[in-house]
Amino acid sequence: MKAVATPPAAGSATGTVPTYVLEARDVHRSFGSTPALRGANLRLAAGEILAVMGPSGSGKSTLLHCLAGIYSPDEGEIWFSGQRLDKLSDSARSKLRRSEFGFVFQFGQLVPELTAADNIALPLLLGGGHRRTAYQQAQAWLDRLGLAGLGGRRTGELSGGQAQRVAIARALVAHPRVLFADEPTGSLDSLTGEQVMEIMVGLAREEGTSVVLVTHDARTAAYADRAIIVRDGRVSADLDAEVSR
Amino acid sequence: MLRIGLRLSLRGGREALVRLLLTTVTVAAGVAVLLCVFADYHAFETSNERPAWESTHGVAVGSTSGSTSAAELWYYSNDFYQGQTIERLDVAALGAKAPVPPGVSGLPAAGTYYVSPALESLIKSVPADQLGDRFPGREAGVISDDALTGPSELVVYVGYTTSELASLQNTIVVSHIANGPQTSVWTNYFRYAYGVGALAFMFPILILIGTATRLAAARREQRFAAMRLVGATNRQIGVVASVDAVVGSLLGTLIGIGAFLAVRPLLADYAIVGAKYFSSTVTPTAPAYLGVLICVPLLSVIAAVLSLRRVRISPLGVSRRTTPPPPSVWRILPLLLGIALYASGISLTNKQSIGTPLYPGLLVIMVGLVVGGPWLTAQAAKLLRRVRGTASAVLASRRLTDNPKAAFRSVSGLVLAVFLGTLIAGLMPAVNGITATPSATALNGVLYDGFSANCLGGCISEQANAPKQPPQDQMPGLDTQASSTLLSELKSRYPDAAVMPIYNAVVPTTSATIVEQPGHPHVSARSVVPCSGLEQFPSLGLCPVGATAITTDTSNMGIDNPRYSTQPIVNSASTRVSGDFSGLTLSSLLVRPTSATELESIRTFLATHTDASGSAAAPETFGERVQARLNVSNIAQRLFSIAVVLTLLVAGCSLAVAVGGGLVERKRPFALLRLSGTGVAALYRVVLLESVLPLITATVVAGATAYGLAYLAVMKMAPAGTAIPRPSASYYATTGGGLLAAVLVILTVLPILGRITGPENARFE
Repeated sequence: MKAVATPPAAGSATGTVPTYVLEARDVHRSFGSTPALRGANLRLAAGEILAVMGPSGSGKSTLLHCLAGIYSPDEGEIWFSGQRLDKLSDSARSKLRRSEFGFVFQFGQLVPELTAADNIALPLLLGGGHRRTAYQQAQAWLDRLGLAGLGGRRTGELSGGQAQRVAIARALVAHPRVLFADEPTGSLDSLTGEQVMEIMVGLAREEGTSVVLVTHDARTAAYADRAIIVRDGRVSADLDAEVSR
Repeated sequence: MLRIGLRLSLRGGREALVRLLLTTVTVAAGVAVLLCVFADYHAFETSNERPAWESTHGVAVGSTSGSTSAAELWYYSNDFYQGQTIERLDVAALGAKAPVPPGVSGLPAAGTYYVSPALESLIKSVPADQLGDRFPGREAGVISDDALTGPSELVVYVGYTTSELASLQNTIVVSHIANGPQTSVWTNYFRYAYGVGALAFMFPILILIGTATRLAAARREQRFAAMRLVGATNRQIGVVASVDAVVGSLLGTLIGIGAFLAVRPLLADYAIVGAKYFSSTVTPTAPAYLGVLICVPLLSVIAAVLSLRRVRISPLGVSRRTTPPPPSVWRILPLLLGIALYASGISLTNKQSIGTPLYPGLLVIMVGLVVGGPWLTAQAAKLLRRVRGTASAVLASRRLTDNPKAAFRSVSGLVLAVFLGTLIAGLMPAVNGITATPSATALNGVLYDGFSANCLGGCISEQANAPKQPPQDQMPGLDTQASSTLLSELKSRYPDAAVMPIYNAVVPTTSATIVEQPGHPHVSARSVVPCSGLEQFPSLGLCPVGATAITTDTSNMGIDNPRYSTQPIVNSASTRVSGDFSGLTLSSLLVRPTSATELESIRTFLATHTDASGSAAAPETFGERVQARLNVSNIAQRLFSIAVVLTLLVAGCSLAVAVGGGLVERKRPFALLRLSGTGVAALYRVVLLESVLPLITATVVAGATAYGLAYLAVMKMAPAGTAIPRPSASYYATTGGGLLAAVLVILTVLPILGRITGPENARFE
């Protein structure tokens, strides 16, 4: 794993351009009376691939959802490219998810009524892109991911590995700056999982996209530049930082 | 976004197609039924707005001063044929400018008549002595639709000479024929019944449209969540959901309109309020068509958007949605409030008017049943979990407790149908019981003919608008000669018919022949009845042994309320009198024919024989009087029954859609349960329990509430001694059949469960 620079001090965001593409500062988030995050801090550099690890229920997925603007933190701040993500309106965050973020989850992320090509073209169509261009780009991604000829199939007609590759294509089609992946190989066998990870990480590096990769699997985490451990709602360890020390 | 929405709705694969099909079919069914209601209401209103020439007023003959060239003699009466009413207008022009009644080009000349098409065919289809002979002269033409409420209405305009008509007691002089709408006392009640029926019916229609729109909501929410994840805004999701809702409901509305047009001829043939309407009027108005075309898709869009607001689609879907709080006990408050309002309305009700809070109370109760249903469902589910510990019971009760609103929504239409049905079933037997008394039933086929020109013995068909001017110089009834001729002719023509003459006890001359028994002055006695006649009508009472004739009070016999007109006439005040009736005038006559054809023949004979007596009123049977009264309640009952049946139909559709849709969207958890060893039979029981438990719970509450309301109403409004309301067999058949059909609907959907929960459906994505 590559060593990363020590994050700058928190609280200096006003009027300054942050060094990191994404930053979480003292983020708290609860579900009812159950706290999921209790003061999580995190920074993600441009082009960096970060693995977020931890036991079940530790809060790693909640941290990812807060970083992606899906959840708003109860306390703390989320910064993305110099703007407070947690203060943005719902439609502004939707726009960010469409153009700046990509998502690959374990399952349930594709629209079942749409074909693979439709799903890949969807972010471009939602952004008001030209229909023909969107489908041309979708086809290009299908070819790039070895899914040529499967563009007309609905997601239910694809294998698990094929569906995840479609999800990766859809996540990257708009050339996002950050890719959020939550257990992307969780429903796949180990061989297919490795293939999916290689494709995803390889493409992210080609595109210069940062990746937040939530996983509890050390083999999957090994694809990352850096890994952090989330425990009891806090980032308890930065493996590369410890290594570097 | 519109393109994506259309793409998802129309080309979203088999499941999307099935969903679209189900939505379309259910909305089409709802729209077709709704249009049927609108069409019939339009026909009803059009019929009411027809110029009511029957309500024409006039002045007594001889009381007019000045020119009568623009006037005519007018005698309006009702005749009867086998229970059907014939509207008869006897008319004679007083001048060239005499007004012409609607439907004809001119007044019928003396010795001719105009008939409605239905009466024309009836006259041609039965022997003249049973009907045709009642109308003197020859047919001059047919009355057009302008004068009629429907194609089956029986109307005749008979032309007379002025001298002939002027001799009839109740003839009036008319210079202007009424052309305003019908002012029947029942019109507003029927309008109200239609309104309440339509309102009650709108609930299940709205529920059906809402249910159909939200079909397989969980699957759609999953789709919308996936779209939100890749950046769709809430507004964009709203557009997609609206397009989805509009496509199905618009298609359904168009197909529903087509289905309505297909069944319209059948609808026009069906007489909902007692008489058929002209088929041209059995159609919704253009605004109603337009309203349905716009409102139904609009309602479905509103339902779709509201359902989105409720679940707040997040990019992670609704899987992390917390369980909604259980329905509070306060939900039962509207029901209790409605019952209190109704009870206060009942307490304010008297013989003259119905308490104002009663109607809003009914409406609030109906709303209260829908609002309180989820709470009742949750309580029933908790009880089920306590008393049954099986896996099916636990699964079903858990789901019902988690979302009792959704569980109840699918059966709410049925609950309203049961409420309405029970209310009517409780009220109607009491209403009918007041009219169709045993004594009235005993005299069902007996003809009553009154001859007293001044109605001392009672007139059953007097001209309502005629000025009351008892004759000063005429005898109140047929004189001895005329009555003797009539009775002997009647006996010779119809030897098997039972006849009871009723004579006036008051004689116009000094030759009184009544012999009073000592100690029994006949202060109130108005009639003398021969015992030989009375014994043929035992329900009216029997003479004392050895008596040949008695005095009685028969003044009630002529009034049109069978509850009073058919009561026994022999009582403690009756006294024996001589059997010599010479010098007495015949006030009325009871005749029991041996057959229906003989009845009409006797009626024709009596109607044509008695002109000279000064009464042109047609004889009527007691059964026809009962029927005339029952018709009103029957029509109201029919309207409500139709509303109940339609509600059951629509609610059944709702239930089928809800259960089917629920199965489709839960196929994955059910598939996982099967994978883990749960049998299909156990899943069947889960689905059955989830549907039947709220249905039974809310039905019992709705039925009990409705019966309680009916009981209160009957106890307050019905005369003392009226039996406790007891729903008829048809109620049990309709309600039981409806509920059974609902369970069958659920059972027919169950086989899908086996197919869609196979192991292959357990996979994700």
